[in-house]
Formats: sequence, structure tokens, C-alpha cells
Amino acid sequence: MSGLTKVILVVSALGLAACDNLTGGSGNSTDLNSAGAGSVADQTSAAYFQQEIGDRVLFVVNQSTLTTQAEGVLLSQANWLLANTDYTATIEGHADEQGTREYNLALGARRANAAREYLVSRGVAGNRIKVLSYGKERPLEICSDESCYSQNRRAVTILTGGLTG
Amino acid sequence: MRVFLTGVLFAAALLAPAGAVVAQNGPLRIEITDGVIEPLPYAVPSFIAETASANELSAQIARVVASDLSGTGLFREIPASAHISKVTDFNAQVQYADWKAVNAQALITGAVSVNGNRLTVRFRGYDVFADKELDGGGLQFTGTTDGWRRMAHKVADTIYSRITGEGGYFDSRVVYVSENGPKNDRRKRLAIMDYDGANVQFLTNSASIVLAPRFSPSGDRVLYTSYESGFPQIHVMDIGKVQRRVLSTDDGIMSFAPRFSPDGRTVVYSQSQGGNTDLFTMDINSGKLTRLTSAPSIETAPSFSPDGSQIVFESDRSGSQQLYVMAATGGDARRISHGKGRYGTPVWSPRGDLLAFTKQNKGRFHIGVMRTDGSEERLLTASFLDEGPTWSPNGRVIMFTRETQGANGRALLYSVDISGRNLKPVRTPDGGSDPAWSPLQN
Amino acid sequence: MQTGIKISLTAHVGLMGWVVFGAWFPSEPLPFQVQQVTMISNAEFALLSQQHTAPEIAADPAVLATPQEDTPLPEVAAQSDAEPETVVPEPIVPPAPEPELSERPEPEPAPTPAPQAPEPPSLPEIATVVPETAEPQVAQPADRVAPVPIAPPAPDTTVDEIVQPEIAPDEGAETQQEVQEATAPEAANDRIVTEAEQQDEQASIAPTQSLRPKTRPRRPTPPETTVDTATPNEPVEQPVETTEDAVADAVAEALAGGGDVIAPEPSGPPLTSGEKDALRISVSSCWNVGSLSTEALGTTVVVGVSLSQEGKPDAGTIRMLSSTGGSSTAAKQAFEAARRAIIRCGAKGFQLPPEKYGQWRDIEMTFNPERMRIK
Repeated sequence: MSGLTKVILVVSALGLAACDNLTGGSGNSTDLNSAGAGSVADQTSAAYFQQEIGDRVLFVVNQSTLTTQAEGVLLSQANWLLANTDYTATIEGHADEQGTREYNLALGARRANAAREYLVSRGVAGNRIKVLSYGKERPLEICSDESCYSQNRRAVTILTGGLTG
Repeated sequence: MRVFLTGVLFAAALLAPAGAVVAQNGPLRIEITDGVIEPLPYAVPSFIAETASANELSAQIARVVASDLSGTGLFREIPASAHISKVTDFNAQVQYADWKAVNAQALITGAVSVNGNRLTVRFRGYDVFADKELDGGGLQFTGTTDGWRRMAHKVADTIYSRITGEGGYFDSRVVYVSENGPKNDRRKRLAIMDYDGANVQFLTNSASIVLAPRFSPSGDRVLYTSYESGFPQIHVMDIGKVQRRVLSTDDGIMSFAPRFSPDGRTVVYSQSQGGNTDLFTMDINSGKLTRLTSAPSIETAPSFSPDGSQIVFESDRSGSQQLYVMAATGGDARRISHGKGRYGTPVWSPRGDLLAFTKQNKGRFHIGVMRTDGSEERLLTASFLDEGPTWSPNGRVIMFTRETQGANGRALLYSVDISGRNLKPVRTPDGGSDPAWSPLQN
Repeated sequence: MQTGIKISLTAHVGLMGWVVFGAWFPSEPLPFQVQQVTMISNAEFALLSQQHTAPEIAADPAVLATPQEDTPLPEVAAQSDAEPETVVPEPIVPPAPEPELSERPEPEPAPTPAPQAPEPPSLPEIATVVPETAEPQVAQPADRVAPVPIAPPAPDTTVDEIVQPEIAPDEGAETQQEVQEATAPEAANDRIVTEAEQQDEQASIAPTQSLRPKTRPRRPTPPETTVDTATPNEPVEQPVETTEDAVADAVAEALAGGGDVIAPEPSGPPLTSGEKDALRISVSSCWNVGSLSTEALGTTVVVGVSLSQEGKPDAGTIRMLSSTGGSSTAAKQAFEAARRAIIRCGAKGFQLPPEKYGQWRDIEMTFNPERMRIK
């Protein structure tokens, strides 16, 4: 299944008409929980944040420590948030299905917090970033192997303010 | 030696009264150590309808009794087609020989009458091979006709208890999370049903995620975690009125995994702040919070001992999920799980002697039981994903969630006897997870 | 913005095209049925909840909240707290003494229904779809645990405690011959096999797994045959009780005036250990602890019984002499299971040497379930 089809599936399933989002061709960057606003061309838009900066970082099994790659993404997020002070953010932590429900909830919280602490360490004001965990309740990919699990072990930064594109 | 023995025997013989020609050795003594473990065969002929309007219910009640007893895996029904004698008079002497002939070791007879919406069920149980009634004699339940299933469960509970010597569990309910839809768009709502899957009733709609409900000790309220506010918070619902309220507290602090204390006055739960999850208790009336743990690790999935003095929980303070026991007031905790793999979701048995838990090892999940000091671990199940055990009110059966693998995976409720026998799915209209068993109903 | 509009248009056309044509192209079937649970209206939701008004079970109608038809939230009547009335019905006239059991025509045991999984409760009102699980379901090998594992019998063999060869009617025979169905002992494992253990055993076959040393070789054991053939090839040895026991017994016997029981029936020498074993195995095969509570499984009971000269237990003499390890309730359940074992397996008479009747007329059987406990 091509990335585009996947995007369409997700979009039609959710019934979201977030048309401006359909760029980049990467299914992974379409967020389930919020529709980014504005054009990707607009560097101050939520869409730009999602697509170009990257709104998520991934984790290894049972871990909440940030990989070098994750730190790179978060550094860009921090710089963007410092430049676009209208926005606040909620970081959602997730786990794969290979764990018990309540532990995974706590693990998701740990991951979200790891991302938050990095942003704060780079100068983003702590009161702009909230954390929330969904544990294993909201997987993005649904297969039962590592290719999906690695995408589900994530912390996603959702912009919650300044939705003016 | 031989000489000595003979001498003593001779002396003993001399002590015997005159006339004793043959001295017996007393009763023959043998020791039986190897038995069989198999379901006990029983018969439950259709109950006698004492009023014309009771025709249907009299048959249905007997069927529910049979379903309860056979469903335990401890009993096996002799089908009606094999019965030799028919029971037509509730007060007449039963023909033991006819029931022995079909190897029915227990027999249950009953009579049902209906007047308006009043239902009366009378029943007796027999120990066929002892040619007598089970101790306790006949009993009678009265109620409304719409409660007929509960009355059947009460009959079965009585019989079960008289034969096995432990309390029954049929007149009980299960609160669980009803699940619908694909894995990446799972709709969850709180549901309650009879232990056997009958009478399902939904307590919430599926607008927000709900997790891990637990009954209050009296069975009238349910604690659960809901994302209704967009944030996981603890809710308590009055089942009778289907009214709910939020118990916790600060916005921005996730709270989850709530369980009642045995007296119903305190809730122990997890609170997650700054990425660290710890255990707290809350006085349900005053709202007063007490912190129980303060490690930088994850502490969650608590469960009170039945006497309320201790709490078992899971923690990854050692580096991986393991089980710990501490006083209900907090303080030092003692690790009790030492096997290979990760251990979580400990639940204290209502009898107090065992803990049920989820174990992950080599990519598979197990439901297991161990003694409360961690010894005598036994794994009862194995699958792609089993988790979240809950105990039947008598501590004999465990219900849990089994999720199947893959993109089409779905969650179903299963139950298993603590011997590891009788593993089977519990019928629910949709998928189901996170079951919690109620105490026996009044 | 231009780019955005173009992309938007493309995507819309694509989306519409997919919606319109997608279904016509042979494609993977949707892997799941999406149920729009949110489409349930308030009324439907209320109805769903209301039809399960908690039943009242009590003599006097307790306060029963009536479901409110028009409230948006489903109203469920409170559970009635009242204890259901349990009235002991008219006492039954004590059963007239049954005619001697042995006088009844000995009924052939009816074909025991094959052990089958307990039927799930029939719940016609709930449309239940229990989907096939992806995993291969491993069938429980046998629903019975016995001291000696028994391979499943041929399909049409009647399950019976006594193994009997099939006797087909002889066509040319002059004399009437009783048709006898072949019987075999019921299939059994020698222990409880949990799912976790089954999977372990399966896994150990797989070459990818490191082999775990299995302590339980599962070789097929030939079915244990009838009790009277079970032992003769064992070296027969006299039951050698310890000296003290023998002395104590003899002294006790003498003091108790055991000698006044001048057996009119043959007493003979003491039973050989083979003869004792035969009796022990015979009772064992009927001693079913499968329906005992875990506490009763920790209770040892000593049961006394007297046998007739045909080896049949006199049910009236079966009594509990002592118990250890459990409450009186547990002891009672344990005793009842023991009593059933003695009566059932003794119904046709235990196989004991008639010339030694005096030795086995009175028996004390200790039922020790330690090895049968759930472990």
C-alpha cells in the first residue's frame, strides 16, 4: 500500500477534511489527534511543524531515553517553539502493545516527559508544554511485529495554540 | 529378632481370654494416595413446573444450573436422554438405584411455580451413592420472574458449595471494557454483565477511552480510569444509578489504576507527574491524599490484601517490571517475584493465599499464580497477549483479557480454573478487556 | 498557496475516485468490521441499558427504583439488598430402607458420555460472535487426570473401570453368549497439563528454541489392565510391619479381647502385598478428587468400612475415623469423596481372596490427597 493510499485511508476513516495536510507523502506524519493548520510553505504554521520539523520521536523497546536522532528532532522543535511563541504544546507519549496496560500508560508518560525535559533544557518555557500518555491505547500501526511496534513507541508533540496558519 | 517377635506374640496370645482361637490382626489398613481428577458426573432433570405458567422457566432454570455447574469444569452433566427415572414429584423419594445406574453421583431436583410475576424455586441435592440428600436439605428462593437467572445461579451456588466445600461464584457480575473497532480506532465503553456473559448493560458511551474498572467491596460502585476530560482521571460510578463523578484531582496530573480498599473507604491508585509514576491513597470521603512510594521508577497496578493491611504492586525499580509487597501505609517494599521475565498486574486472591499476575517471558504472556511470598509460581496460560487477571469471589477461577495477534487482533475475555484446567472464552457481545469480578451478590 | 490548492485538488479527486471505484477493484477485503458505535442514539442507548433492570429476589419487594423512561442517563434499579428468603420446605419422610443393593438386577453401566467440553451457557438473547483466534488451539489432551496415564481408547469403546475384551456373538455357537462391548479405561493424563506447559512442550520441539530438559518423558503407557492382573508378577512379600507395630497390634488385639471374635468365616493368612495393592488400586480408580475444594485437597481422612463376604462394602458401615489437615467442612467433603470411591468401585465386590475374609472384613482406608493437590 502506497504512502498516499495510507494517508487517504486514514483521512477518510477519520472523516477529517484536513486537505492542506496531504503533502509530503509520508503517512507517518499525518497526525491522528490533531489536524495541523496552515500551509507547509508557511514556516510558522502547525503544518510546517508537523511535516518539516517533525512532530514525533521514536523510542526503543521499554526505554524512554532519547536517541541521537530523537534529540535532533527535538532540537528543531525547540528552536521552532522558541521562534513561534504563540504556540503551546502537549506531548503525547505512547507504547507498543507488548506490555501490560497500566505499565504502558506509565511508560508513555515517561517518554512524553523525556521529550518535554529536552525541550525545556533547550530553553522552551516549561509552562508551554504539557504531557499526556495514551499507553498502548492509540497505536498508529496495527501489525504485531517490530516494524509497527517501532512506529508506535513514540512521543508526539501536538501544537495547541495559535492555530492561525 | 524372629525369636523375639514370636515370643512377644506368644505372650500377647497368653493375655487373651480363654477361648480365643483365632486372633485377628484388627482391621486391614491401606493408604490411598493416587486418585483421579475428573469432573463429577451429576444429573439435573428439568425442574417440575407446579403452575402452568412455570413450564418454560422450570426448564430454563434447570439449564442455567447445569450450565453453571458444568462450566466450572469440576462437574459433568449426565444428559437427560440417559436418565432412567423421571422426577415428577418434588417430595417423592428419588430412585437412587436408577441414578447410580447412569453413574450420576449427584442429583439435583427442583420445582418452580409462578404467580403473576412472583417466582418460587425449590430444590434439593442428593449424594446418590450415599443414598441420601446433601446436607442442608431443600431450600426455597422467591423473587420476581425477571430475576430467574439469578435464582438459578443461587441454586447452582448452593449445590456447588455443598459438594466442593467452598463458596460458589455464579450469582456474581463482571464489569469490563467492551471493545469495538480496529486496533487504531478502538472504541471502548464500560459494560457490566452476569459472570456468564448474560444481561450485558453498558455504563458509558464510547466517546472517551475507559480503562481497568474495579468493583467496590459491596459491589455497588465501580472505579475506573477515563479520558473523558481528555486526560486520564479516576472516576467512580454508582452502578444502580449509573451516575459518575471524577475522584481525582489536579489538572495536569495523570491518575489511573484505582482500586478500593477492602473497607471501601480508601482508593489506592497511581499518579504520574514529571514522568514518574507513584502510588497514592485517597480517602474517598475527605479526598485526603497520602503518598505511598517515592522511587523515581514506575509503581502501579496496586492491589490490597483482603485484610487491608498490605498492598502488592508492580515496579520497575530493579530495571524491569517485578512484584513487590508493602504495608498499606507505604514504606519499605519487599520484592517477591524472582523468576525469569517481567511480572505485572498482581491481584490478591479473595482467600488471601495466592496472587494472580501477568508474566511476560520470551515474547509471550502468561497468567499465573503464586503464593503471597512469591513461592510456588504456576503459569496457567500462554498466548500472544494475556493480561489483567481478576479472581472469582471464591478464589477458584481467574478471568483475564486475551488479545489476538496481528492487524485484525481483538481482545476477548477468558477464564481458567486455578488448576490450569478449563480454559475457555467468556461470551460477550463485542470484544472485551480488563474484566473485574464482583463479590457474590446478596 | 498555489501548490497547496493543487495538492488539495489532487487529493480530493483521488479520495473521491477511491471512494467511488475502490470497492469495484479486487482489493484486500477490509480486515475488520468497523462498527459505528457512536451512531447509537440516546434512545437506543437508554433502551439497551434499561432492559436489564436488576431483578429483585426476595420475599418482600424491596425498594426497587423504577427506570425513568425520559431521563437521558440509563436508570438501573438498585440491587435489592434483601437476602433471598430461603425456606426449608416440608421435610421429606425419611427414605424407606432401600432394598439391598445387590438384590437389584445389576445394571450395566450405561455408556458414559465421552468427556466433552462443558457447553458454554446458551444465551440466545445475545448475538455473540466468538471469532476464531489466530493461534492454533491446542486441544487439552484429556480431561481426566489419573495416577497412570491412559492412552485414549478406540473411538467406539465404552469407557469403563474394568477393561473387558469385546465378545462378539458367535454365529455358530450353540449356547447363548452374552454380547459384551469392549471397554477400556477412560483416557487420562498423569497430571494436569496447563496451557503454559503445553506450549512449552510444543516449543521444545521447535529447532529454533533451545531445548529445555524435560523431566517428564511422555511415552505411551499401555493401558492399565484389570485390577486383578495388575500385580501378580510382582514378587510377593509378606507385609512386614515394624516390630513395634506388630507387637502393639498384637498386644492391643489381645487386650481388647480381639480373640472373642471367633470368625465363623475363614480368616487365613494375612493378605499379600499384591492383594493389598489390588484393593488399593481398585479404590484409587474411583477416588475422584476433581470436585474437591483446595482445602479438602489438603485434608487426609481415615475411613472405616466393613465388607460382605462377596467383597461388597456395607454402605452403612462407612464412617470417618479421623482427619488431619483441614477444617471439619473440608474433612466432610474429603470423606464424601472417599465414600463415593468405596461404594462405586465396590459395587461389584472388590477382588479379594475369599479364604482370607477374616483379614479384610474390616478395613481402614487412609485417603491422602497430598499427591493430588493443585501444584
